[in-house]
Amino acid sequence: MPDGPTLTEDEFRRLCEYLYRRTGMVFTEAKRYYVERRVWERMAATGSPSFTSYFNRLRIDTRDEIQQFVNAFTVNETYFYREDYQLRCLTNDLLTERLGAKPAADAIRIWSAACSTGEEPYSIAIWLLENWPRVDQYFIEIVASDIDTRVLDLARAGEFGKRALMRLPPELIGKYFDALPEEQWRIASSLRDSVSFTSVNLVEPDQTRRHGQFDIIFCRNVLIYFDDVSRRIAAENLYENLLPGGFICLGHTESMSRISPLFEARRFADAIVYQRPGITRS
Amino acid sequence: MPLVRKPLQPARHPKSAAAEVLTGLGSANPEERWAAARLAAERPESAAALAVALPRETDPRVREAMFTSLARIGTRDSIAGMLPMLRSDDAALRTGALDALRSSVIATHELLPQLLSDSDVDVRILSCELARSLTSEEASQSLCALLARETEINVCAAAIEVLAEVGTDAALPVLAQCAQRFSQVPFLTFAIKLATDRITAAGSRA
Repeated sequence: MPDGPTLTEDEFRRLCEYLYRRTGMVFTEAKRYYVERRVWERMAATGSPSFTSYFNRLRIDTRDEIQQFVNAFTVNETYFYREDYQLRCLTNDLLTERLGAKPAADAIRIWSAACSTGEEPYSIAIWLLENWPRVDQYFIEIVASDIDTRVLDLARAGEFGKRALMRLPPELIGKYFDALPEEQWRIASSLRDSVSFTSVNLVEPDQTRRHGQFDIIFCRNVLIYFDDVSRRIAAENLYENLLPGGFICLGHTESMSRISPLFEARRFADAIVYQRPGITRS
Repeated sequence: MPLVRKPLQPARHPKSAAAEVLTGLGSANPEERWAAARLAAERPESAAALAVALPRETDPRVREAMFTSLARIGTRDSIAGMLPMLRSDDAALRTGALDALRSSVIATHELLPQLLSDSDVDVRILSCELARSLTSEEASQSLCALLARETEINVCAAAIEVLAEVGTDAALPVLAQCAQRFSQVPFLTFAIKLATDRITAAGSRA
């Protein structure tokens, strides 16, 4: 697609401020080109003749434009080892901290809260097996959920194309996948059986509560789709689903600080994550 | 290959100790108040009890849940229950109410004119923020009506800041009049110039 007009400094700032307020997504000047390309795409798709007219459309959310705009940032980006810096953070810092806060016999519970077709929970499983020397010393439960039962069926089937595996080294593909015809791979059955898939709507407390509390929740690029009230409800549900001191990982553009004051931001070497405070405030 | 195993006994979620909203909201235990505040979202009739409990709630986490439940209930009663918080001396309560009201169509459409005419300066300042949820035309109309009569500098500044983002050309004459009225207030004339420049630039690229 040909490049569109460059956003002025003021337009870029207004857009970024709006996105932060509305979705919690954070973009800096360093991401200008990335943002502009999405704006051009959506301007073309909506027939908006100018940024101003498109921005008005976005602000009022005409025909779910917010969702369409966010989709332009996230769609087709689900693949194994996506945002692997968070996986490094998981094994370098988060698990160590969680182990120090719970009885040794307790299972470590990890929730992939919007797992789509399964790349995220399987990535977590592979990453742990490959990068966490203590993996055999603990019971680790990985629960993966999505609101969409169709993608859950695909996740359970565990068959993936080349694009989904693009970030995995060949030796890991050979180790954890069985090759199928037409450049498809099926995840090893032992790995597939290690993940529990279930349907959960994150804004329904009755659905989230029944899965108990977790040490770590991955909830990446999900809350940005919700309207204000739904996002608040989801944040409160996720809070309840975290053990005190547990962590939640959001997408790289997301900020929980904008969404809810319930969590504390924690900066680790590899990532910023959010933590449920460990001590009940009174 | 080592297994990532599922435990036989899944972790249990702590059971809600608040069997009833009213009892729970009055509990000395913040966990019970939290549970009651969340449960209230499913019981619209509890909006009044939430509104009463909110100002005296000391746990910010429980407050957040109360605001969320009032917003989720979303009736005129529940929205009205949050309005007094805009007058609170507690900044956290004011901003909590504002955040919750922002998501309410009732607040942004039906109640905004009344809020922008409120006798309390702080309420008028905070209410300007609610106009961000309106269309550009609606926001310009509401905020220009306010600017035309407003005498408090800080209220004008709040309205001008929002107009700088969402205002249309229709706001330019009122901004110019405001600049004349407050020509002795440098920061306001600066803010008006900034807003005017932005609106004009946006209009020229439209």
